[in-house]
Amino acid sequence: MTTTTAAAPARRGKAMDSLTQRYLVLIGLIVIASVGFGIANDNFYSLANIGILLRSIAVLFLVSMGMTFIMLTGGIDLSVGSNVAFAGGVGVIALTATDSALVGFAAAVLAGMAIGAINGVFIGRLRLSAFMVTLATFALARGLALVIYDADSINVFNGAFLWLGGQSWGNMPVVIPFVALVFVALSVLLYRSPFGRDVYAAGSNFNTAFVLGRMPQRTLVWVYVLSGALAGLSAIITVGRVSSGQPWTGLYLEFDAITAVILGGTSLFGGRGRLLGTILGVLLYGIIINGLVLTGTNPYLQNLIKGLILLGVVLLDTLVQRRKAQ
Amino acid sequence: MNFKTGLMSATALTLMGAPAVAQDDTLDIVFINDGHVAPYHVAWLKGFEDAIDAYDEAFPDTKITGRWLSAEGSLEKMIQQTEVTINEGPDVMFVNAINVDAFEPLVAKAQEAGITWIAVHSPMDSADYSFTLGDVVNGTNQGLAMCALSGGEPYKVAIMLGQAGNPSGEARREGILKGIGACDNIEVVAEQPADWDTVKAQSIAENWLTQFEDLDAISGVTDAYMYPSIAIATNSGKDLDFYGYDGDIPILQQMQNGTVKADILLSGTREGWNFVQMAYRIHEGETPDKVYDFFTPLVMTEENHKTALDNGFPEDVEVYYVDEALDVAAKGYLEFGPDSVK
Repeated sequence: MTTTTAAAPARRGKAMDSLTQRYLVLIGLIVIASVGFGIANDNFYSLANIGILLRSIAVLFLVSMGMTFIMLTGGIDLSVGSNVAFAGGVGVIALTATDSALVGFAAAVLAGMAIGAINGVFIGRLRLSAFMVTLATFALARGLALVIYDADSINVFNGAFLWLGGQSWGNMPVVIPFVALVFVALSVLLYRSPFGRDVYAAGSNFNTAFVLGRMPQRTLVWVYVLSGALAGLSAIITVGRVSSGQPWTGLYLEFDAITAVILGGTSLFGGRGRLLGTILGVLLYGIIINGLVLTGTNPYLQNLIKGLILLGVVLLDTLVQRRKAQ
Repeated sequence: MNFKTGLMSATALTLMGAPAVAQDDTLDIVFINDGHVAPYHVAWLKGFEDAIDAYDEAFPDTKITGRWLSAEGSLEKMIQQTEVTINEGPDVMFVNAINVDAFEPLVAKAQEAGITWIAVHSPMDSADYSFTLGDVVNGTNQGLAMCALSGGEPYKVAIMLGQAGNPSGEARREGILKGIGACDNIEVVAEQPADWDTVKAQSIAENWLTQFEDLDAISGVTDAYMYPSIAIATNSGKDLDFYGYDGDIPILQQMQNGTVKADILLSGTREGWNFVQMAYRIHEGETPDKVYDFFTPLVMTEENHKTALDNGFPEDVEVYYVDEALDVAAKGYLEFGPDSVK
């Protein structure tokens, strides 16, 4: 995953062009899907449905942004869904023990970061395969969640803890402005800070980044910790949404996040991609899921349609890349 | 209204006939399931869809529609599907929740929107109705059948469970252990969750057959586990007994050759038909029991039932013999079709 050379300015500009093309394709697909679903069901454009759509993808937004950082380094995080369940369990237990929402928030985020740190140390410092390490923590975090919860749910009644995930202003879920704030903060971190440049450098060529003194091994540790922190935030939102801690939450979330990030144009090999693409990827994904439910599409066909869209976008991306290379 | 428009209206009404007026009454039913991973679910949906068509045809005064959704085991997906469905405003929602606590806020939303919420399998106090299976009693009957058919000799059984924490699976386990507890010759050598997953059940059965060479029986909380377990035992030449739960037709058929000793007759087809019957009854103003128990008899061969009775099996446990069970399992309309509410 480190075979490409570091992105020179001229090449970076070229890569940006292909990303812009990708974004246009995504925007086009979003428009087509929205118009199509709007024609098929008037309810699609209702404010209530838009609120439902946005709330349903809030967690995917957060997790996918963390996944974007990781995939920009050429890595992958299969543990993120299990981490949401684990972090939620720790947060709810801490909340129950102290009756303090603040302690619950901190515990959830720290628990998520702890799993992220394990991933980061094994992948960044010990240079083990990201796939293998996060596959292990995928099982480990889910197992810990089941142990913490004793496989049963825990009801939460603390209004402050539930506020972020459960509250709405009219049809606008509170969580949406929060996700937007996180997006802005992460954009600043990625595009306006030395850490962001280190992320791109680690993904473009790990060895070169090392020789240049960018300490990519440390960068890898921190991107996994960041992903863990976002999993902790997602856990808080999830608990708020269902008014309870759930040991089976976050199931298959990693696959949805990876799908959204790839849809958004981030390279599986690292060094190329932007958060905006991920946002568009998540939005398209959410619209498709929402629209397919609204139109009463056979659930067996839903996975088929999602798979075909992903395959189509990846195919289109490959063709564009090859044409540019020629 | 002048004469001309009055005449046109009268003509239009005559041409359209009575159904145009009758179709003003509608009944829209949505069934949201936690996941479709087993043959039971296929039969369930088939029964549900067939019943929708049959009721719609049998009661022309009411336009009856229905659709189903599957969350494929994902809590987030199920919540989203439920929120979208509530916003669509159907009349009745059957929800087989992954975890009932997670759906409490949505029950309130649905009720505010005038939707009747029917909690499936795991009861909810807040729901308008709960459609339950009597899992503890059914499990107990399975365990009692095992006791009676094991003949008092030392008997080793391994039990395949549902997903950890799933109330229905836990209740079935509780019942099976309670039934087995009625005799002292049965030893439970292993218990393991297979998450309602046929593929996981396959690996577990393989491991058990290797680990416990003198295993006498496999008991499961769903017939989905019986398919791979029976195949693996047959392929490895082991003569095991199987105790199932669900009333899947292919498993009931294997009772006739003696492999499967007892099963619980849920039958997905029957259950799907019963959903539509229940929704129609509510629509017509009836009020079923708040916790409605689906009728689920035990199934055995006549020969095994006689043996079991001789060995102390309770006479008051309702038992269907295989032919009768196969008949009602395949034809949900026999018990729950439009004729049952006319």
